[in-house]
Amino acid sequence: MALSFTRIFDNDWVGPGLVSLAAIIGISIFQPSFLSPFNIFVLLSAISVNMVIALGQLVIIAIGQMNLALGAFGGLVAICFVAIMELYGVPPILATVIGLAIGALAGGLTGFVIARTGISAFIITLAGLQIFKGINLGITEAQPFYGVPQSVKDFGNLSMLGPIPWLVLPMIIASLGMWYLFARLRIGRYILAIGGNRTAAELSGINVTATIIWAHAISGLLAAIAGMMLVARLQIGQPTIGDDWLISSFAAPVIGGAVLAGGHVSVAGTFFGVVIIAIITQALVLFAIDPFVVQIVLGGLILWAVGINRLRELRVAKFNARTA
Amino acid sequence: MTALHVAHVSKSFPGVKALDDVSMTLKPGSVHALLGENGAGKSTLIKIMTGIHKADLGEITMDGKTVRFANPRQAAAGGLGVVHQERNLVTRFSVAENIMLDRLGNHSLSSVNYNAIAQEATRWLKQLDLDIDPMTPVSRLSVAQMQLVEIGKALSLQSRVLLLDEPTASLTPNEAQVLFRILRRLRDDGVAIGFVSHKLEEVFDICDTVTVLRDGRNACDSAALKDLNRQDVVQMMIGRAERISKRAPRGKTTSAPFFELKNYSSAAGHKGISLAVRPGEILGLYGLVGAGRSELAKAVLGLSPQTGGEIVVAGKPVTIASVAEALEHGIGYVSEDRKAEGLILLHSVLANAGITVWRKLATKFGFLSDTTIASRVGPVLKKLEVKTPSLDQTIGNLSGGNQQKVSVAKWIAAGVKLLIIDEPSVGIDIKTKAYLHDLIHELAESGTAVLLITSDLTEMVDVADRVAVMDGYMIRGVVENDRNYERVSTAIMGFIHGRKAA
Repeated sequence: MALSFTRIFDNDWVGPGLVSLAAIIGISIFQPSFLSPFNIFVLLSAISVNMVIALGQLVIIAIGQMNLALGAFGGLVAICFVAIMELYGVPPILATVIGLAIGALAGGLTGFVIARTGISAFIITLAGLQIFKGINLGITEAQPFYGVPQSVKDFGNLSMLGPIPWLVLPMIIASLGMWYLFARLRIGRYILAIGGNRTAAELSGINVTATIIWAHAISGLLAAIAGMMLVARLQIGQPTIGDDWLISSFAAPVIGGAVLAGGHVSVAGTFFGVVIIAIITQALVLFAIDPFVVQIVLGGLILWAVGINRLRELRVAKFNARTA
Repeated sequence: MTALHVAHVSKSFPGVKALDDVSMTLKPGSVHALLGENGAGKSTLIKIMTGIHKADLGEITMDGKTVRFANPRQAAAGGLGVVHQERNLVTRFSVAENIMLDRLGNHSLSSVNYNAIAQEATRWLKQLDLDIDPMTPVSRLSVAQMQLVEIGKALSLQSRVLLLDEPTASLTPNEAQVLFRILRRLRDDGVAIGFVSHKLEEVFDICDTVTVLRDGRNACDSAALKDLNRQDVVQMMIGRAERISKRAPRGKTTSAPFFELKNYSSAAGHKGISLAVRPGEILGLYGLVGAGRSELAKAVLGLSPQTGGEIVVAGKPVTIASVAEALEHGIGYVSEDRKAEGLILLHSVLANAGITVWRKLATKFGFLSDTTIASRVGPVLKKLEVKTPSLDQTIGNLSGGNQQKVSVAKWIAAGVKLLIIDEPSVGIDIKTKAYLHDLIHELAESGTAVLLITSDLTEMVDVADRVAVMDGYMIRGVVENDRNYERVSTAIMGFIHGRKAA
């Protein structure tokens, strides 16, 4: 009994989960409208999009790299998605499939360059960020596409059931999919193995190049989903979609217990990381707080989360020193 | 019958012949020791066997068939398993998953069947007498258990040849005995085992045959160990130089020691170390790899805590907790690994040579001008004849010898009174080596105390005044150096392997 108790508290999602719960209870005491159906609807919409974005970064963190081009992927897919519907009359379903393909392709290509050149992912994705953003601006000339079909607009703004928006659907599918990938699928285990100990993975016969390409393709796919979700929610193909993804895409996984060096991530923890960030942003509106406070709180939260991770890493390092 | 045969393998890297006509034979049901000092070519040989390097000449056969592995994966698939010195486990994964890591599924999107994996892993754990739940994360295991998991992993690939690179380096004697029991059983099951170790007791304990490498050549090829004794093996490892040193013994200094260790112990494992270096004296510190020499130097510099005894500098007991503190006491250290630990390769000659004097030369406000540093460092570099186009040259572009001079220069510029020099001539040509030896002598003549660590016995006999012999993190004895190679080397060997007799 005692064992299972500590086991539960060992899990990465418990801390952020409790913080989320406390924040929800605390805020709703002072501001009952926090739990109004409309507010819940808005909150869930934001959480849904941000969770998919965070998952796109999570898979790259898992392999021990970072993806600065995540937002550029998402933005490019978003405007392509609207452009082909507006200009060529492509039906939304087919446009979605094409959007997913563009995301996976852009990610896979990035992964290929990283794996083949051995240059750090930081540099390659930084270059990727510029290139994909440039293509985006070249296509749009910095003007939005307005031709979003009604069905897509509805998906982003109507409720599925009570205060629950349709947008939670892609988030739930993506989250369960990523959880299963990390827990059960060979590719997920290989991603974590490479993030945990690349040499060991390589010497065990894991194809590191292929696995890195896979990870980045999955990241691109998730960025594509998030980009198209934002199109549905904003009802417009904004060229600026993706510009502000970077900070929260790292913050949520880190708050959720992901180790930035790779090898250890938590999908459930990331979810609560996203929830915490969404609540903080919401609280700003509800309590009419200056926006700068939110920035500071978010920064403090990241520091706190990274601090806890650092403690863990030190424990691991101490352990490795003992075994070296 | 031969499980693995290495036949006349040669391998050159730019500027060095790493292996020259090396042969070795591993037989099924036998444990074979591969011995040699650092740089003798053991790692290169293992890397060639497992396909990390390609041999220039010669061939490798397994069960009579020529094999050419392109990478360790192919080698493993071909029945050649290697347990590397570094732990190669994913510590967050379970034991079972680590053992079966390359067999988690047929394609990328296969689901992992953890039950099946646990079952398969249990089979191998049983063989190794490891009574642990296969789903335990590796991070919860002891070092010895991890070692066994790695062996299990190699065995699970149906390895008929198992190479173990210093498997006991981080094991306690008891754990090592457990490992040996299992190795003996594997041997009896017909596995051919290659065993790399620096601990000769272990080699004599468990191995049947031995190959010794020295300077990239066979000092012996697959000889039966029962015909050899410890002394023969050591002699083969370090070689026998014919010449007598050209240098005359230096006059003895009688001044009070500048630096003394009295019954010193460290957390690194040193026990009861006592030694003394006088100003102007060159004290050699000799021992086989793993004897704890470099570790002693680093411990004294404060990199591992002192656990007993005394450090005495210029007659006063001191404590040293960091390299900065050591420098304040006038102690400098020229690292054996100058590329990783001694120099900042991307920085200029001036920055590297001046790094030790920045603190002294900086003005009250922390300003530091290049001219100030150059005025302090320039003359030293000139005296050491460092060949560099300018002080602004990136040090990575200089030759190994000149780099070494700069790493000595920075300590001279700092005015140290004791310089610890660790393996000064690794990767340096003979001419520069002779020059470095002169330099060390000049340093001593000018009154600096020198503690010289080297595995090169001829270098030791050439340079040191006295030689303290280390083995097993203890000082076994001190030999006066009269430059008579034969006498000195015999005396040193006496201290290293005569400890049981003594």
